[in-house]
Order: sequence, then C-alpha cells, then structure tokens
Amino acid sequence: MKFSVSSSELLKRLQIVGGAIGSNPVLPILEDFLFTISNNRLRIAATDLETSITTEIEVMSDTDGVVAVPAKILLETLKALPQQPITFTVNEENFGIEITSAYGKYKLAGEDGQDFPNIPQPDTVDTLKINGAALTHGITKTIFAASNDELRPAMTGVYFQVDFNKLVLVATDAHKLVKYTFNEVGSEVSTSFIVPKKALNLLKGSLPEKDEVTVSFNAANAFFSFGDTELVCRLIDARYPDYNAVIPVDNPNTLTLARSDFQNSLKRIAIYANKTTNQVILNINDGSLTISAQDLDFSNEATEQLACTYEGDPLTIGFNAKFLVEMLNVLESDEVKIELSTPTRAGILLPAEEMEGEEILMLVMPVMLSN
Amino acid sequence: MDAFYASVEQRDHPELRGKPVAVGGSSLRGVVASASYEARQFGVKSAMPSVTAARLCPGLIFVKSRFEVYREVSQQIRGIFHTYTDLVEPLSLDEAYLDVTQPKRGPKSATLIAAAIRQQIRQETGLTASAGISFNKFLAKVASDINKPDGMKVIPPEEALAFLEQLPIKAFHGIGKVTAEKMRRMGIFNGEGLKRLSEIELVRRFGKAGRHYYRIVRALDDRPVNPNRIRKSIGAERTYREDIEDPAEMKEKLAYLAGVIFKYMQKSDNYGRTLTLKAKMPDFQIITRSKTFARELKRLEEITAVAYELLEEHREEMPRVRLLGLSVSNLQREQQAEGIQLEIDFEHPNLGNEPHEPDHF
Repeated sequence: MKFSVSSSELLKRLQIVGGAIGSNPVLPILEDFLFTISNNRLRIAATDLETSITTEIEVMSDTDGVVAVPAKILLETLKALPQQPITFTVNEENFGIEITSAYGKYKLAGEDGQDFPNIPQPDTVDTLKINGAALTHGITKTIFAASNDELRPAMTGVYFQVDFNKLVLVATDAHKLVKYTFNEVGSEVSTSFIVPKKALNLLKGSLPEKDEVTVSFNAANAFFSFGDTELVCRLIDARYPDYNAVIPVDNPNTLTLARSDFQNSLKRIAIYANKTTNQVILNINDGSLTISAQDLDFSNEATEQLACTYEGDPLTIGFNAKFLVEMLNVLESDEVKIELSTPTRAGILLPAEEMEGEEILMLVMPVMLSN
Repeated sequence: MDAFYASVEQRDHPELRGKPVAVGGSSLRGVVASASYEARQFGVKSAMPSVTAARLCPGLIFVKSRFEVYREVSQQIRGIFHTYTDLVEPLSLDEAYLDVTQPKRGPKSATLIAAAIRQQIRQETGLTASAGISFNKFLAKVASDINKPDGMKVIPPEEALAFLEQLPIKAFHGIGKVTAEKMRRMGIFNGEGLKRLSEIELVRRFGKAGRHYYRIVRALDDRPVNPNRIRKSIGAERTYREDIEDPAEMKEKLAYLAGVIFKYMQKSDNYGRTLTLKAKMPDFQIITRSKTFARELKRLEEITAVAYELLEEHREEMPRVRLLGLSVSNLQREQQAEGIQLEIDFEHPNLGNEPHEPDHF
C-alpha cells in the first residue's frame, strides 16, 4: 500500500483527530492513528474507547488498505517538516511504514489495522442540526460549570436537552449551575443525554465557524458530524439531577451593575480572600455595593465600593469570588443582573440584555458567613 | 488515670486485684491496650504484642476490653474536672490538661486543686489518678509521669530549669523513640545536653520539631489549654488474627471499617474530604494511601467505594496485611471558621428559607 499527501494538510487533520488519544491508553494500539485508504481517500481515526474522532482527506493512492500508525512519532515528524508532498509506503506483511519526504526517509513500526477497536456508527435517525459557531458558544458557556467529582458522574458532563426546535445545555457542580438555551435548532425529536467534558472540549477546538453540525444520538453514544469529520462519544449513563426545580423564580432583591467593573473589582478583592473558600462578601444597600474579603490567617483584607442599581432590602451575602469571575467571564452584555433572596439561598446571575437566539441563566450558591 | 483500663478491670473483678493483668486480645495477634502495675514489673507495656507480653510475664491474665465502661468512667472524671474549670483539654479517655489559673471553685492553689480532684476521683470511681502541676503544658505533662501511680509532682518556676537539665531525653514528652536514639548517638542524654545545641542546629537536624525542642528544654511553652480541641480525623482499624491475602476478604474488612467510621461521622455530624487507607504488613511496615475530594464524603456507599479504589490502586503494595484501617480527615468542622460553601440541594429543592446545609443526592 502506498499513498501521497500534503504534509501540512495531513498534520492539520491529525491534530484534530489526535485529541481523542488518551494520556494513558489501556492498549498500546490506542496510541495509534488508524489509517484506512479506499478510493483515493484516507480515513483517519483515533479513540480512547470513550471518545473517538474520524476524518477524511484526499490522497493519491495505488491500492486500498489499512494500518495503525504510532501517533506521537508521526505528529512530531510532520510538525518538523516544511509543507511538501510526502509518501507513505506500508509493508502489508509486517506493517512497517516508510515515509518519504524531500529530505529523506523515515521508518516506523505500524500495527495491524484489523486489531484497532471498532468505532461506533450512528444507527438511529434522531438528529438535530445546529450552527457550528453557536454550538461552540454553548459549550464554552456551560462546560466550566461542570464538575470533576467522579463520585457524581452525571455532573461531570453537560446535559443536552433537545425539545424539537429548542436545545438546552445544562452544567453544574452543585455549587454553580448554568442553563443555556438555543431557540433555533433543527430537530424533530424530544430527548436528553449527558455528554462527557472531554468530548466537548475536543469539539470546541475543532468545530467549524460556518458549517452546520449534525448531532445524532442513540442510547449509548452521541455523534457530532461536521464537514468530513465525526466525533463519537459514549454518553454518561446516569440520571441528571432535576435542575429546573432548584432554580428560584421569586428572588425578591435585584442588583444591576456593569459587568466588567464588577468582574475587575472581584479579581482584585479575591487576592485578599481566604484561599480555600475564596469568600468575598457583598454588602448591598440602595445604590451602593461594598465588596470585601479577608484572610484571617494572614491578616489580609480589602474593600471596594461600586455603583449599582438595587431594588430590595439591604443584604449581606458571601460568594466564592472565583465562581463569580468565571460566570461573568462567559457573559457578553455590558450590564448584569443579580437576583438574590437570603444569605443562604441561591443567587441568580443574568445578562441585562439577551443575545439573539439564546438565553442564559446562571445560579450560584452562597458561602455561608461564619458567625 | 493510673493503668486506666487495667485498673477498671481490677476494680470490677476483685479476683484480678494484685495480679498481673493485661487488657487486650490474648490471641496470637493481639496487642496489649493497658497493663496493670503488677504486669509492668515484668516489663509488660501497652501497645506490646500479646505474645511478647505473655512471654515476659508467664502468669499474665488477659482480659477483654470493655470500652463502654472506660468511656463511662472517662465521662465521670471529666465531670469532676469541669466543676473546677471549663478549660479542660482532654488528651485521651483518661488524661487531660486543666488550666486552673482562675478556678470556678475550691482553693486558689493548683496543687491543692490537684489534690482535691485526685481525692474526688478516688471516692467516686474507686480508681487512682496521678497529677503533674506546673506553669505550662509541657512541664505539667512531664511532671504527671514522675510520681505515678497514685502520686503527684509539682514543678514550680524556680525549679523548672534545673529539673529539665537532669531530665533524661526519653522522659521529654514529644521526643519519640527514634529522635531519642538519634540524640543518643549525638551524645545527648538529658536536658543539659539538649540545651547545648543552638536553635539553628536543632532545626537543621530535626526540622520544625527542633524549634519545639529548643523551647521546651528552656521551659518555654505558651500553648494555651484548648477546651475545644478540634478533631482532625475520624478513624478505625483492626488487627486480624491471621494475615489477610485474599482481596475479597480485605474488601469485606474495609466495608466493615467504613461502617464503623461512618457511624461516628453521622453521630458527630462531621464529614471529611479525605479518606485514608492504612495497612500494616506482616513485617509491621505501615503504608497509608489517601484520596481527597472537592467535597465531603457523606454517604456510606461513597466511603466504601473509595476505600475499595484505594485498595485496588495500591493492591501490589499490600499483598498481605495484618492490620487494616480507614480514616477520614479534612473534616468540615475544622474549616467552619472560614465560611461554608453551600450546595444546591437537588433532593429537596423546595425547602423553605431556613439556613440549610444540603447533604447529598
């Protein structure tokens, strides 16, 4: 088997597919790319058995065939080569691979492609179509709120709730929660599933700006297809907590203020906060917000005052500054609205004006003040 | 208290009085938890393997421990302490520091209060206690060992330095066997020798502890008697009759230990973020391996599952064990001074406005 391809085109594809390779593969062959040639097209696949990515690229080949190529050494080689056509020659007896460039020859040991694990294929018609940039947006705005707590597997992913033309993404770690709604997706089904973080991070890095993404799903897997590329991931098999029930609808106190002023102030104050809780205290009165923090261990403390609009009773409430900064980070509006109830109940963070076609709601639990 | 568990047994079982008694498992694998003074004459000590104890003292009578009873007596003596001061810092079931600078009642002299307390303990429990009286915790602790059993020792400020100079290194509370041996090899046998080393030298050789040694040998100890000593961990461990090799059996034991510590956690409503697995090998080497999570482990199934994971991940390091233990640390009660991050309660979303710390779902 022999084929020629542009080194830079190949590298671009390999870098996307390579994201699926795990840091500590359980089988040696999972450190490889699977190359499948048929009819002058090279199909490249990689997997960690949970998440798989495949893509296709035009090549010039003499015969069809399949081989597994060690990923690390191939990627390093291509990165070190200036753009040029390169030729792969594969010995079908022992899977030895020889790469020829303008400078010389490089030999590496491949493996039998037949040993490569099968990558699941979509077998259902349940699909939804969504703009690539919009999905990237949705992932960015939710994924940071997902949990790393492997004891609560449901929360380690982002919840996709498809409701005909609406798609809701939800992420939470039980301290904070983000609910992000797209109002314009193309779907004729109503269903839900939990996508693991890794797959979403990979998607975020490889989704096209303009193209549509087709999302198909069955009970076990989700398939994201765009252009020549497809990402398959195993869904998290767990029940997602009933997030709607925990979102307060009647928080009586509303604080409105400039997003970037608030965020910058929090970043400065947080430097003086206790390092385990990152606790900052918001003291809110008509028209004035005092943000303060102290770290008793080091006798550090800081206070700032910000202008705001406030409707409600005077209130003192503590929050983890890191959470607030992360949440403000994914909002785009100039002003944000914070709806509060009591110092021990959830606060709601909203943009003062919504972006077109999307709705976002964030919930954050307070840090209870000691004494 | 003097030979606490053993004395309680001798009190409740008159036939044991005047005889060498060891509380603890008599089996091959047992360990002595407490030895009567009659047994100590033969060299029997607590924490000694029962086999060794039996060899040292052929007539040794082994008695099963009855912790409910010891705990009851402990409550009784703490009750007595509290009639004199609220500044009581328990060190164990049978030992406590008391700050009687401003006693609630009784004489103004610490020595007289100590005498009164010992008298009252004898009357109410039928057991003897020893006391050490001095002007800091370290000296009081060392003094309490001097005239044991049934005695007391006062170290007044003017005698402290001379007392410490003649004190053998092994009698310094807080200097362990290994450190004492290290000092012996350096030619340090008592306080006088220890005092010759500079602070820098001590820190260089013994780390942070060196600074503590430098201070205590000069009678410098300003640690307050802390009545709310915060619990740092909750744990349980068991030594087994025979070494365990079978992973399934290890799991069974871990599940049991998880149940034991979970009961304590529930009772004290105190949960931790770190779970530590401890294993003692047949050669007495001890391995501890732990996992820390972002939040407290609040369910028995979680604790058991993490314990299994720890075992599986470190299985090769502990092929055969004679002891297994589990403990949780990073307890939430420790961190309360800093404010508590509340959690969304998905299980009870409609609870009212009451401050409420959700547990889990």
